[in-house]
Amino acid sequence: MAEENPVADTRRLAAKKQTLDDAYAAPANFLEIDVLNPETHLMGKKRYTDYEVRMRTNLPVFKMKESSVRRRYSDFEWLRDELERNSKVVVPPLPGKAWKRQLPFRGDDGIFEDEFIEERRQGLEAFINKIAGHPLAQNERCLHMFLQEPTLDKSYVPGQIRNT
Amino acid sequence: MSSEDSVKQPQTQLSPQEEQEKLLDEALQVVKVQSFQMKRCLDKTKLMDGLKHASNMLSELRTSMLTPKSYYELYMAISDELRHLEIYLCDEFQKGRKVADLYELVQYAGNIIPRLYLLITVGVVYIKSNESCRKDILKDLVEMCRGVQHPLRGLFLRNYLLQMTRNSLPDCPPNEDPEPVKEGEVEIRSGDIKDSIDFILLNFAEMNKLWVRMQHQGHTRDREKREKERQELRILVGTNLVRLSQLEEVNIQRYQKLVLPGILEQVVSCKDAIAQEYLMECIIQVFPDEFHLQTLNPFLRSCAELHASVNVKNIIIALVDRLALFAHRDDGPGIPNDIQLFDIFSQQVATVTQARQDMPTEDIVSLQVSLINLALKCYPEKIQYVDKVLETTVEIFNKLNLEQFLENSSAVSKELSRLLKIPIDSYNNVLTVLELKHFAPLFEYFDYDSRKNMSIYVVNNCLEHGTEIPMAEQTDQILQLVSSLVQDQADQPQEEPDPEDFSEEQNLMGRFMSLLNSDNPDQQYMILNSARKHFGNGGNKRIKFTLPPLVFSAFRLAFRYKEMSEEDDKWEKKCQKIFQFCHQTISALIKAEYSELPLRLFLQGALACGEVGFENYETVAYEFMSQAFSLYEDEISDSKAQLAAITLIIATFERMSCFGEENHEPLRTQCALAASKLLKKPDQCRGVSICSHLFWSGKTREGEGTEMNGEASPERGEPKELQDGKRVMECLKKGLRIANQCMDKSVQVQLFIEILNRYIFFYEKGNEAVNVQVLNQLIEKIREDLPELDSSEEMDQINKHFQNTIEHLRLRQTSPESEGPSYQGLEI
Repeated sequence: MAEENPVADTRRLAAKKQTLDDAYAAPANFLEIDVLNPETHLMGKKRYTDYEVRMRTNLPVFKMKESSVRRRYSDFEWLRDELERNSKVVVPPLPGKAWKRQLPFRGDDGIFEDEFIEERRQGLEAFINKIAGHPLAQNERCLHMFLQEPTLDKSYVPGQIRNT
Repeated sequence: MSSEDSVKQPQTQLSPQEEQEKLLDEALQVVKVQSFQMKRCLDKTKLMDGLKHASNMLSELRTSMLTPKSYYELYMAISDELRHLEIYLCDEFQKGRKVADLYELVQYAGNIIPRLYLLITVGVVYIKSNESCRKDILKDLVEMCRGVQHPLRGLFLRNYLLQMTRNSLPDCPPNEDPEPVKEGEVEIRSGDIKDSIDFILLNFAEMNKLWVRMQHQGHTRDREKREKERQELRILVGTNLVRLSQLEEVNIQRYQKLVLPGILEQVVSCKDAIAQEYLMECIIQVFPDEFHLQTLNPFLRSCAELHASVNVKNIIIALVDRLALFAHRDDGPGIPNDIQLFDIFSQQVATVTQARQDMPTEDIVSLQVSLINLALKCYPEKIQYVDKVLETTVEIFNKLNLEQFLENSSAVSKELSRLLKIPIDSYNNVLTVLELKHFAPLFEYFDYDSRKNMSIYVVNNCLEHGTEIPMAEQTDQILQLVSSLVQDQADQPQEEPDPEDFSEEQNLMGRFMSLLNSDNPDQQYMILNSARKHFGNGGNKRIKFTLPPLVFSAFRLAFRYKEMSEEDDKWEKKCQKIFQFCHQTISALIKAEYSELPLRLFLQGALACGEVGFENYETVAYEFMSQAFSLYEDEISDSKAQLAAITLIIATFERMSCFGEENHEPLRTQCALAASKLLKKPDQCRGVSICSHLFWSGKTREGEGTEMNGEASPERGEPKELQDGKRVMECLKKGLRIANQCMDKSVQVQLFIEILNRYIFFYEKGNEAVNVQVLNQLIEKIREDLPELDSSEEMDQINKHFQNTIEHLRLRQTSPESEGPSYQGLEI
């Protein structure tokens, strides 16, 4: 055996040749969600902060390839609850509720401090990106509503998106 | 997720650059350790263990954390170490100790990156030791690399493939008539050039695909960084093209049929601007010019199909410049005769510009610039090609429907200037440039400043190269072309131009006139007429610069006719016409309210006239002198100017020898009269004293003289000096009288000394009316008056003048000239 010329076994399964269009097409896995532009609205007891949730994607499952909506923390909580209830997705954690910051007699602005808002923004961005990239979550109507509808209709009928 | 993911966790405290350095260092450390182990095992011929360490080492290339720069360093370090493995295996194979099924064995590596790197290494060893399996192994390797679809890792993997196989690609023509495989024997499949081309083209296509895909990785905000990283990696893709060019069997036919179409297919289909721009230029640089010459059409057609943001102009210009250089090389074969290079480029450039609607106009013009360069370098005798390019440019501008002129500072204007300067600089002969029918029309698109600048450029080129304009038609053409220097333009700015710039320009035109020169005097006359028409319309400010040179040109022409009087029996009538022309031209200056200038020109004309001596010349000379006098009387009012002017008139007249007494007398009288009418006494004194010369050395011609009706006398004698001594004295005595009327003593004395000098002059000339007593009297008067003057610098000068005069007399007295009069009796 050691004397013969070694023959390399190069037999392979036949593969279909890729078309040029496919080869150079943009991969259909582009998903980018940014959470930005926090704005604090109203005064006194009704004061709250919301964030712009901007999505860019070329995934076929999403109706709009670009969208921008404003969501507040409680909207994120609603999404998390919906997903936990209706789907088998293991939902990643949200950034904290920060109860301590909501107590009175603080020296600072509590949950409206710039540092805190930035920390929360980063957490929300990480959260929504993980969720939206999950194939099971991509099928849930609540996620599509969260990302692409101007307002959340909390009396919606939960369910899954049918692919057309 | 893919099994390629690295298990490393990123650090958070360090800056990104520091983090990269740390990651790279850690990886290189692993490489060092594992490669050491690998070599130790191989030394002990423990191949399996050696391969295990090699695999560990290669696992570092599975990372996603490194930037392209760092990854490259890691890759280089590992490639170096793998050479040891390759050498070991080649040695073993040579010694006959071939490991069974090594090719399959390495495919058991757990992760794809180590697996494929090892497969390539082993595959190349197999090929080097036995060529008969070369074709299959090469095909297998290039296909198997598909397993890595991550752009960065995939690019480097395929680069490794390319580097390792660089000496193993079959470079022989296909065997047209292969022997049939004998029974029981393995077919020898060592491959031929077609297989190599397929191999490289496939590798290139896959690498291009990965390279293009990189733009989709990462966040939108990092796009610029990604593009920079892509640029850093472009050489990896380009190496495929280099490899193709190194294959000897890739001749023109195979290039045309197989290689170029394969490359262009990928370049056009990828629709990515970065890739297209790089690869098209790569093709131009990597393959020889002979190949390009034979594939211009497909190449240029592909240019038309490139992505809208690709700068196609640069690609085409790079190609044109390269081919122009090739054509120009002395030792090269030059452009083959059957390739109409200019036509091909002309057409294809038109196609490209049509296909790309939003190409900026300046880029279209840049393309014309490269075409014109091509025409001039490759076909220097074919002026029509250059004109064709200019014609195309005119069409381009026509299509634009421009409402206003191209602004001087705009990119289009600059490109157009560049375009037009090329034939000027190339031919260095404005006459050739005038043959380009579409050159002048392009001037019309410029705004005023650009037109002027271009005109100055043209004129300067003529002057630098001494290009003479020998035909009236050409004179007309060129003055039309540079009309922004010659006449006021409709779009000229309202405000006055800077006087220095203006006079510089006009002086330029004045100098240019010296180039309007024909050997044939009749043609020269026509040239002067043409020039006169153009310059005459230049407006009052310009003609003071441009008409005088014209007049002098005309004078010179008259002299030329005189020289040729033997050959041309009409020369006298022609001279007459010329002086009429001068008269008219100088009058134009008078109409523009100049006075000193036409006065001088008339005097000059009178002198010239007298010297040429054509039929009726005395009449003409007299007319010129009268005109000069009229100007003097009517237009010159400043007293200083008056003295200067009358002195000039007298001096000119003194030199003239063309008048008979009938004409000379009134002119003489006029001079004396004008001199005596000067306002200031000193001026009067001087003017009158100067007149004295007229009566001495003024010349008349004897004989019948010219009747005032213009008929010439058949017999003209030699001119003779008047030498009217008495009249001379009258002038000088009058001068003395006027000097006595001066209030300022020092001026008086100065004038006396001047008159004394004149006396001496005439005495030495032999004027008998001047005698020693006259001299003595004046000398005494001066000696009396001198001491009374206040001492001053002026006084010193006056004194010096007098001393010099006395010194002169003393010299003459003590050593008299043999022919001079004696100064006997002079009291110094």
